[in-house]
Amino acid sequence: MNSTTRIQNHDFDLGAEYQLLRQLDAAMGAVVTFTGLVRDLEKNTSINSLTLQHYPGMTESLLQEIVDQAQQRWDLIGVTVIHRVGKLLPSDQIVFVGVASQHRVDAFEAAQFVMDYLKTKATFWKKVDQNGQQHWVESKDSDQTASDRWSADD
Amino acid sequence: MIKLLFFGRLGDFAEGVSASIDATEGLTPATVRDALAADHPALVAELSQPQVLISLNQMIVGWDQPIFDGAELAFLPPVTGG
Repeated sequence: MNSTTRIQNHDFDLGAEYQLLRQLDAAMGAVVTFTGLVRDLEKNTSINSLTLQHYPGMTESLLQEIVDQAQQRWDLIGVTVIHRVGKLLPSDQIVFVGVASQHRVDAFEAAQFVMDYLKTKATFWKKVDQNGQQHWVESKDSDQTASDRWSADD
Repeated sequence: MIKLLFFGRLGDFAEGVSASIDATEGLTPATVRDALAADHPALVAELSQPQVLISLNQMIVGWDQPIFDGAELAFLPPVTGG
C-alpha cells in the first residue's frame, strides 16, 4: 500500500491529492476524500483565527501508526493524510484524508477510522483567537466516543 | 540533561519553567512533577489532571517510568487536532 502523511503550514490542493491517489493502481474502484475546514464559531462565539500547535516528530509517527492500523484492518491501495499547522482563518482547509481501495466500503470505513483516531490520538492542539482573547480548545467527549467504537470490537 | 516540553494549555502554565533539568538517579515523570510543585503549583495542578499523558522520547509512558540522561520528557494535554 502507498501511504503519504504530511504536516505543513501551507494549503493543499484537494484535486491534486485526489489525482495522486487515483493514478496509483488501475485495480482501484473507490477513492474517498475528507476535508476538514476551520469553523467560524467556537462555543457559539465567532473566532478571528485558529493556531495549531503540534509535537514535531511524535505527530508524524502517530499519523503513520494510524495509517498502518487502517491498512491492517481494511484492504487499501493508498492513503494520504495532510494536516496543517500554524495560523489558520475561518473556512481555511485544515486536514485532508484520502483513501483509495478496490471497493467503496473499505475506503469509506478507513477514512472515518483515520479521522476518528487522528482527532483523539495525534498530537495537535488548537488555540483560538476570539476578539483578541486567546484560549486553547477543549477536547470533545463526542470525538472520544467516535474513536472508541473502532476498538470496541477488538 | 533531560529536555522538558509542555504542550497546549500546559505551555501557558509552564512559563518560567526551565527547558531542561539535570539527570539524577531515580528520576521519573512523577518526581519531575513533584519537584516543580513548590515553584509552579498551578502547573502541577494541571499536570495532575487524569487526562494528561506523558511521553518519554516520544513514546507514551506511565508516571513511574525511569528517565535516563539525554531523554525528552513531554507533558501532553488532551489533543484537539483535525
